[in-house]
Amino acid sequence: MDVPHTVTTALDDRSVAGKRCLEAGAGVGNATAGLLANGADRVYAVTNDRDHARTTRRRVAEAGVGVDDGGDRNDDTGDRLTVLEADLRAVPLPDGSVDVITAHGLCNVLDPAALSAVAEEFSRVAAPGAQLVVDDYDPPPDDAAIGELFAVENAASELARGRPALTFYPAAFLRRFFVGHGWEFERERTLLEPVPWTESHVSAHVERAASTAAKCPDEPGDALAATARRLKSEIESESVGRMYGLAFRLPD
Amino acid sequence: MQTRPLGDTGHDSSVMTFGAIALNWLEQEGANQLVEHVLDYGVNHFDVAPEYGDAELKLGPKLRQHREEIFLGCKTQERTYEGAWRKLDRSLNRLGVDSIDLYQVHGLEYDEELDAITGDDGALAAFREAKEQGLIDHIGLTSHGDPDLILDALDRIDDLETVMFPLNPVVAGKDDDEYDYEAVLARAEEQNVGTLGIKAFAAGSWPSTDELSEADRPFANWYRPVTAPDEIRERFDFAAARGLTSVISAGDPKLVTMILEAAADYDGMDEAAQRSLIERVRHDDSPVPEQLHH
Ligand SMILES: NC(=O)c1ccc[n+]([C@@H]2O[C@H](COP(=O)([O-])OP(=O)(O)OC[C@H]3O[C@@H](n4cnc5c(N)ncnc54)[C@H](OP(=O)(O)O)[C@@H]3O)[C@@H](O)[C@H]2O)c1
Ligand SMILES: C[S@@+](CC[C@H](N)C(=O)[O-])C[C@H]1O[C@@H](n2cnc3c(N)ncnc32)[C@H](O)[C@@H]1O
Repeated sequence: MDVPHTVTTALDDRSVAGKRCLEAGAGVGNATAGLLANGADRVYAVTNDRDHARTTRRRVAEAGVGVDDGGDRNDDTGDRLTVLEADLRAVPLPDGSVDVITAHGLCNVLDPAALSAVAEEFSRVAAPGAQLVVDDYDPPPDDAAIGELFAVENAASELARGRPALTFYPAAFLRRFFVGHGWEFERERTLLEPVPWTESHVSAHVERAASTAAKCPDEPGDALAATARRLKSEIESESVGRMYGLAFRLPD
Repeated sequence: MQTRPLGDTGHDSSVMTFGAIALNWLEQEGANQLVEHVLDYGVNHFDVAPEYGDAELKLGPKLRQHREEIFLGCKTQERTYEGAWRKLDRSLNRLGVDSIDLYQVHGLEYDEELDAITGDDGALAAFREAKEQGLIDHIGLTSHGDPDLILDALDRIDDLETVMFPLNPVVAGKDDDEYDYEAVLARAEEQNVGTLGIKAFAAGSWPSTDELSEADRPFANWYRPVTAPDEIRERFDFAAARGLTSVISAGDPKLVTMILEAAADYDGMDEAAQRSLIERVRHDDSPVPEQLHH
């Protein structure tokens, strides 16, 4: 697999080689691949989604993560990767056991309560001097069409589960939040501007909104599902907003 | 239109080079008009080859009229001394000019070809003689092949002054060495060799000929090009911002004005926007369902 440029840019000034890493919210393994490609000694990729765990394992195994260092690192990526199916609010790792934590596109899927619990766990598992990388999206601008789709997805999620599906935390918010958890802020950079919400992103969010709407009471559920489908053809794709990358360090 | 120094040649090339293959699809009168149109925008670097149908012949009249305003690149696919001389003579005849500013080894693909052109009886020996005789001014090389091969050529050919290779957000997003044209760009910059970009406007391959016959393709490009003005603009900005000396216009004349407009308006593209484009085409392309993430 190709390591996305968002990930390489988020990591290129971080020291990862030889480090023990926690990839929080493994998703499809993009950041996992980036950490392995940069010579991580070990990556614990944690997700609560079984399919994501499988996808991460498979993609990293298939591709040797684009590592090309004469071969000696290539064949042991399997040994350096541990995919854990677990809740990040209770990370199954001991205190002070990791040197690098990455949360690439994680925070937007955590509501404030979950974010708060996950941050506690980051502080617990991080060793003194550890680095934290937080990559996420600023809230889309008010006039963004994609914002309407996120609103529908969130409305369905609130009705069905009592919490939002997506929360876009501004960079400044997460910066102060993690500083409040004892991390020293090191830098911010812009990973993507504009953010390309492609047809495949749009249809994935439409599917999510519709399937969550199916769990809502009939009347609003039907209306939300119908709105989501309408937005699919209306939006198609949109490039808007910003994805940022923050880096922190824990004092020794 | 912006110009940039073409390596050590002493020529400042416009940030867009006119791919004169486009003339092949026009009648002579239309070809004349297109050349005037391109010159009006400030383009000063043209690229042609004997393989592009009638393009050399159709370029001839306006090239001769505006010879001083045009830095002319031509090429040969011949790999031997004899062959290269023959093709150079033929191109000079067909173009109707006394000299060619940049003569390029065309479409290098295999290691053996690099051995052949650099050998005693190789094409480059003819290039060098022609240079001494004032028939050509500078030596270049073009390839859609393996970036490693182009790097080897940069190592082995001391008097190489330009390289032409593909660069676009699709290839920039791929990690494999076989797409690592950025390494070529970096090396060329290091050696102060001029860089000319092809396939900047490629969106993907055409459907198979079973689905869409060649005759039914709406554009005369080898690949399926981007065709909307905004997309053309983004692709141009991307290629120019990566650091190429000049970006070659696509082969279909229907696209040329849009590319000229983009080139005339070019004023950089920041890195976050470049990544945005790489990320977008990666998702368009992606075999894995990773729709929710960037
Ligand atoms: N019949 C021929 O022999 C021949 C040759 C070239 C182009 N053409 C025509 O020119 C049209 C315009 O091409 P285009 O708009 O793609 O222009 P373009 O925008 O950059 O590319 C044209 C180039 O395609 C390249 N090309 C030739 N064979 C190729 C291959 N097998 N795979 C990838 N690229 C290849 C050639 O480049 P290089 O010159 O650097 O090889 C040609 O100049 C094509 O659709 C084709 O119909 C025909
Ligand atoms: C958008 S993806 C992150 C993308 C990923 N970092 C990458 O580089 O490909 C979010 C991931 O976080 C996981 N996740 C969300 N909440 C979680 C939680 N409470 N515990 C564990 N994983 C969680 C999701 O299952 C998903 O795998």
